[in-house]
Amino acid sequence: MEVLHNLALGFEVALTWQNLMYCAIGCTVGTLVGLLPGLGPLATISILLPLTYSIPTSGALIMLAGIYYGAQYGDSVSAITMKIPHASSIVACIDGYQMTLKGQTGLALFTAGVSSFIGGSVAIVVLTFFAPMLGEVAYLFGPADYCALMLLGFVCVSFVTTGSLLNGMAMCLIGVLLGQIGTDVNSGAPRFTMNLDFLLDGVGLVSIALGCFGIAEITKNLDNKDERTPFNGKINLIPTWPEFKRIIPSALRGSVIGSFLGILPGGGPVIAQFAAYAVDKKVSKYRHEIGSGAIEGVAGQAAADEAAARTSFIPLMSIGIPENAVMALMMAAFIIKGIQPGPNMIAGHPDLFWGLVASMWVGNVFLITLNVPLVRYWLSVFKIPYAVLFPSILFFCCVGTYSVNSNLNDIFVTAGFGFIGYLFLRLDLDAAPLMLGFILGPMLEENGRRALLLSRGSFEVFFTRPISGSLLGLIMIFILWQLVSFLREAKKSRARLEATTQ
Amino acid sequence: MNDRNLARGLFLIAIALTFGLMSLRYPMGDFSRAGPGLFPLIVSCLLFMIGVFTVIRSRFSERVHIEFNWKNIAIILASLCGFALISHYVNMIAGIIFMVFCASFAGTASYSLARNLKIAAGLIAVGFAFQKLLGFNLPLY
Repeated sequence: MEVLHNLALGFEVALTWQNLMYCAIGCTVGTLVGLLPGLGPLATISILLPLTYSIPTSGALIMLAGIYYGAQYGDSVSAITMKIPHASSIVACIDGYQMTLKGQTGLALFTAGVSSFIGGSVAIVVLTFFAPMLGEVAYLFGPADYCALMLLGFVCVSFVTTGSLLNGMAMCLIGVLLGQIGTDVNSGAPRFTMNLDFLLDGVGLVSIALGCFGIAEITKNLDNKDERTPFNGKINLIPTWPEFKRIIPSALRGSVIGSFLGILPGGGPVIAQFAAYAVDKKVSKYRHEIGSGAIEGVAGQAAADEAAARTSFIPLMSIGIPENAVMALMMAAFIIKGIQPGPNMIAGHPDLFWGLVASMWVGNVFLITLNVPLVRYWLSVFKIPYAVLFPSILFFCCVGTYSVNSNLNDIFVTAGFGFIGYLFLRLDLDAAPLMLGFILGPMLEENGRRALLLSRGSFEVFFTRPISGSLLGLIMIFILWQLVSFLREAKKSRARLEATTQ
Repeated sequence: MNDRNLARGLFLIAIALTFGLMSLRYPMGDFSRAGPGLFPLIVSCLLFMIGVFTVIRSRFSERVHIEFNWKNIAIILASLCGFALISHYVNMIAGIIFMVFCASFAGTASYSLARNLKIAAGLIAVGFAFQKLLGFNLPLY
């Protein structure tokens, strides 16, 4: 009963006309920006973050969440129609684009939209019941446990987003170091500020996000010199009944997989899509068609994508630890609005929490009623030449950076991070784990110092506490597994080399 | 030297050394009462180890050519810094016009005065919309 009461409160907040409007604007603008080449959810959220500064807190969070799933839908649209892969829509490129080649673009877009709706709805049920429960568990966490959880998050994110544990961990650590710039909260000593006053408060997250994702992406696109041909095919959105029937089972499977994988540290949409696609390929009735443009190949992954995007809010809102880079950015947005996510958020700001949960469902309805039918008009953003687009994106980056503190100096910092982000790109280092390291770095330090203070300098506390002990054990197993597979791979390649020389 | 894996390792080592050496200047304390320098030093050491491992691994893996196109990134950075400086000393409208005209050099399409004027006019209009409708504190004029 309590849950229904809470949900009623949530819908009361979400269904005010202002919040409905913020949700609709968030979904639409998110979809539009997400459609643009090279701009995934991370870049989209960081570019659009400033739009929410002057909006009341609940509206701002609702709009940001709308931007997030709008951007994800936009991503899958560009993947389906033009095979433009973003980090969050790699799987949609496979069957979605094959369907476009077969002239079934409308069906693929409809499938993605409906499956997202199903995935989102299942995830909201999970979120409603699971977030408060996990919030209770969070009270059992001590400083050592928080440290271990953050480290597990680093390891998982490093591996999932970059595929290389070493590169990902390096980026996490660079993020942690960048988070150290500014005044040390415990001793008040300025660190790494190079006697620059504006660095005393630390580097702004928006500067890093816009530099590494906005400016670096623009430069990469300019370097690639690829002019994209806009999609001009026909879009027939209404499916036949047998086609519609094929969407449901696959979408439900994807929703369950996505909801589960979204909660785990390092989890989120990307890994959920791959898992759902793999499961569909194994168990679906039409598995022989998957890969060559089957409805199931689009439905399962789209549902998993959406479900994981929603349930990845659970660790953020109930424990206060973001589990992937997008959630780290969301956390920063929460903090900018004066809300500290964590176990106290649900009790302290029930209207915000339940309002956000309810708005996710409202956002889903907007996506399916507004964005899916209007998608052919949205696609016209591709007709805008890049020569017009990129100065505009640069302008938004500047305004976004400036408006955090109304300080023009921040634009220099953003430019600096744009250069560093470009170096990262060229060195094949993914900047996403850096964001997580940057947000979690100060928390990691604070909890680590507190844990060691309580244990009088003994590291035993990390291994003797059951929660941190098991989490660290998981990390050790993961690293060992990585090491063994690396050695095996090296052995295999040496054998192959010997075979070829003989 | 033109090897991406090697360059990546050296880059990581350089960052680790920069932060690590700087953190040596701050009080270390001990584990039970950590000073401001201890945590960054530990993190820098870890990053240094990853950097060294990357360099060693690059000796055993295939070389990957690394490509830099300095022109585009330099133009983009110049337009950003120019925007900030001109907005500070003149006003943001002049900053927007400079940014559009400077950044367009990086584009692939041919340089067009008319197009740049249109983009600048559009962005100035967006700036006014931000200022008047969303309450942004933009020093437009």
